[in-house]
Parts: sequence; structure tokens; C-alpha cells
Amino acid sequence: MRAILKIALGIIAAIGGFLDIGDLVFTTQAGALFRYDLLWAVVLGVVGIAVYAEMSGRVAAVSGRPVFDVIRMRMGFGMGLLALVASTIVNVLTLAAELGGIAIILELLFDAPYGMFVFAAAVALVVIVALLPFGGIERFFGYGGLLLFVVVATVFHQNPDWGEVGRGFIPSIDSSTLYLYFVVGVFAAALMPYEVHFYSSGAIEEGWTEENLKENRLNAIVGYGVGGILAVALVIVSGYLFHPLGVEPDNLGTVALPMQGAFGETGLLLALGGMLFCVGGAAIDSSFAASYNLAQFLGWEWGRYQGPRKAPRFTASWLVFLLLGIAIAESGINPVDITEYSVVLAVVALPLTYLPVLLIAGDRSFMDRYANGRIATFLGWLYFAVIVVLALAAIPLLLATNAGGG
Amino acid sequence: MTAPGRKRAWPTILALVLATLLLAVSGCGDLSNDELNRGVESLSALAAQGELVANGVARDATKTTYARAMARTLSEQAEHEAEKLADATLEEPETADQRHAAVAVAEEIAGLLSTLQTFPGDEHHAELVEKHLGEAGEKADAIVAQLSGDAP
Repeated sequence: MRAILKIALGIIAAIGGFLDIGDLVFTTQAGALFRYDLLWAVVLGVVGIAVYAEMSGRVAAVSGRPVFDVIRMRMGFGMGLLALVASTIVNVLTLAAELGGIAIILELLFDAPYGMFVFAAAVALVVIVALLPFGGIERFFGYGGLLLFVVVATVFHQNPDWGEVGRGFIPSIDSSTLYLYFVVGVFAAALMPYEVHFYSSGAIEEGWTEENLKENRLNAIVGYGVGGILAVALVIVSGYLFHPLGVEPDNLGTVALPMQGAFGETGLLLALGGMLFCVGGAAIDSSFAASYNLAQFLGWEWGRYQGPRKAPRFTASWLVFLLLGIAIAESGINPVDITEYSVVLAVVALPLTYLPVLLIAGDRSFMDRYANGRIATFLGWLYFAVIVVLALAAIPLLLATNAGGG
Repeated sequence: MTAPGRKRAWPTILALVLATLLLAVSGCGDLSNDELNRGVESLSALAAQGELVANGVARDATKTTYARAMARTLSEQAEHEAEKLADATLEEPETADQRHAAVAVAEEIAGLLSTLQTFPGDEHHAELVEKHLGEAGEKADAIVAQLSGDAP
């Protein structure tokens, strides 16, 4: 009974912790611009992250090695260093965007200067990390993120044309560069590299072994799957309300407007609260991912469970990354713009993250009977092919569409 | 071994590539008809977004801090759009009248949103702002129609 409860709690945390500022921005903009036409891209991204999270969690549980350890082992020092540099840039940009996102939401709730809230957000994260154990941090943000289920309630309140919604799940390709840019953005926002870095290192933090493989599979498939429902709901509510009005949601605050329209102030507060927890959780994940990668690559002692005394360089690097994130967020650049660049740059770094995971998870000499089966192998290579195509297209599309500005 | 001439050429090529990329990203240069059209469309989008915020205030269905912060952000965006349109050199001088009208609409939207920012808890003010933003949005749509040759 206790084991089932633990698994259920893990799944709930994964649901609430699925969305970050990139998902919030890209899914809402996708709905506003293309109504329900990009729902299929959301599903494509959610299945992709579930496939690779399951693999990285399995590798970590079986071998005791997190993703970055695997990258260096499989790709060697040179390629490992390239992956480290690329993922660190993306992680720090993501962290800055998430810190900026927290500050914007606090500004909307309390109407005080943005700059002050960036700093306050960083201090709050340090306090939470200092006070809570690893599992507690995950659950705090994951459960809080469940407030965003108000978006699902809003879908039913709006009662859209369900036939039209259903057609959005059928893949379609529009020749416009803006549409293709949003396909890349929506897909990449779901597969941000920090998610698997954090997920696999978290498995080591929580001491997973082969016994936790069922928990790993359920967390990855059910947790991310149900979390994906939130992303789908965001596209629908945005498509329903914003598309006919021609609204271009380039402010984080706009994301909450449909919930205000449906349920008044209560809907607004639930949406802003859920966004705050989701974005806060992603700030923790991306900052930890940056430190995990660096420590694992350089062979330092690492892990929240070790504490600052046993892992001083890991802790110091976490604080340095946090300061870098604060500096970028305080620079005055709109966090939504930072998000768009970090998501698109992440696509370029994706092959460096996911190929080693795929190779190791399928290696029978390393994983023994826990190596990828037929379905995982097929899905893994299929997604890797998609990732490579999108990685090649990402930068030209970013330039051609002026970062989605048209 | 690299030839001396080739060695000197690389920084120039790199600078040209970077300059091209920066121009592509920043969207500098003369304002084309399409860009003017997009600018006016974004005014219509800002007005629509402002209407939703004002509607929340008018129905007493929002939080004043949210309404104030959103109105401030949208008003700043409208002002920025007005400045951008006013400063740009037109590629097609015959669209000067539409540009002038668009700047006026942008300023009107910015002003209405500033009012909402000042009175984020006043339902009566919000009703008026919502109505006037709707009208400003219609004006922006009319300019778009003129620019794209769809006007009657």
C-alpha cells in the first residue's frame, strides 16, 4: 500500500512539474495563431519526453549513472565538452527565463517592481532548497502546479467545437515558416534537455535501483502523459478565446486571461498560482541540471542529498548559475524573448543529449536484460530522427520568422 | 599554411555574416507595406487584449494588481509601437496617411490603457475603456483593410 502511494505521489508530482515557461509561452501562442492545428505537435513532444525520460531514468536506476556521466562515457571528452557547453548555455538561459517568469507572475499578483521580484524569487529558491529534502522540493512544486488544472476546467466551460479540436490531433503540415517555427517550438519546449538531466540525476538522488523501474515507467508515461493534458488544454483555451480576436499573447500574464474569463478572479488566481509553481519548479530543475552536468562532467561530488559540506563545488556552482540567471533576468530583456531563444537553441543541443541516452539504454552489454525492447528502440530512433530534422531547421526558422514575430 | 590575403579576409566575412544576421533579427531598414500592415495588426491585437483585461475589471472578475500590471505592459507596448511607426522611413510613401492614422490609433490605445492602469478597480471607467478599445481596434482593422486593398 505504501509503495502504491509513493508511486501515485511521484506521478502527481510529475504531472504538476511538467510545464515550464517555454510550454506556457509556446502552447498559448500556438493556440492564438493556429487555433487547434498544432495539438498534434504537443502530443508528439509529450510522447518524446516520456520515451526519453523513461530511458534516462532506467539507465540511472540500473547503472547508477546519470545522463551526463553517460554522455561523457559514450561520446568522449571532446564531444562531452561540446554537449556540456551547449547544455549549460541553454540551462542558464532557461533559468533566467524562469526567474523572470516568477518575477512577472509576482508582479501581477502584488504589483511591485519586476527587478525586486527577480531577486526575491532567487532568495526564495535558495531558502526552499536549503530547507526541504530533494523529494520535498519536487513535491512542493509538483503539487502546487496542479492548480493549473483550472485550464482543463476552462476547456469544458468554453465547450469548444470538439470536432474541430479532434482534427487538431491529426498531423498536418502548413508551408508557412511561422507554422513550422511553432512546430519546432512546441516540440522542443516539451523536450528541453534539462528535463532529462534533472530526471536522471534525481533518480540517483533518490537512490533508485532496479526495484524502482516500475515507478520510473509510471512516472514517465502517466506523469508526463497527464501533464501533457495541461499543455493540450492551454492550446485549446487560447485557440478558443484568442484566435478569433487576433490576440498575440506575448506577455506571460495573457496566459491567465481565459481562466479569468471563465471563472472570474478565482480562475485568475488559480491560473497564476499554478503558473508560479510550475515556473518555480522549472527554475529549480534547470539550475540543478546546470550544476549536475558540470559536476558529473568534472567528476566532482554532487547531489542535494550530500549537502554543501560533502559536495561544496556542486553547491557553489549552483549558486553561481543562480547569480548568472539573476544577472540575465535583471538585464531588462523580456523573459518571453529569452524563453523563445532558449527553447530554439535547445533544439540544436538536443541530439547531443538524447543520442548517448538512446545508445546506452539499448546496449545489452551495459544494461543487460534492462536494455531497450523493440518498442523503446523503435520510438527512440524515430524521435531521434525527428530531433535531428528539427535541430537542422531550428535556427533558419528562428531567423526567417524573426523569432516568431512574423 | 594560410595565405596572408585569405587570413585578412576572414574577419571581414565574419563581420558581414554577423551584420546580416543582426539585421535579419532586428528587422532594421525601411518600413515595407507588409511590415506596416503587421504593425497595425499588432495594434488591433493589443486593443483586443486590453478589451479582455478591461472586461474583467468591468465585471469585477479580476484582481486589481493584475489589471494594473497588464494595462501598464500593454500601454507600454502600444507606445513603443507608436514610436516605431512614427520613426520608420516608409518604403512606399503613398502609405503615409495610413501610417499617420496608425500612430494616432496606437496613441489612443496607449492612453486608454493608461486610464485602466490608473483606475484598475473602477468598473465604470473600465466599461468605457473596453468600449473605446473596441472602437480603436476597429480603426486599426480598417487601416489594415486599406493597406491590403480590401477597403470598400
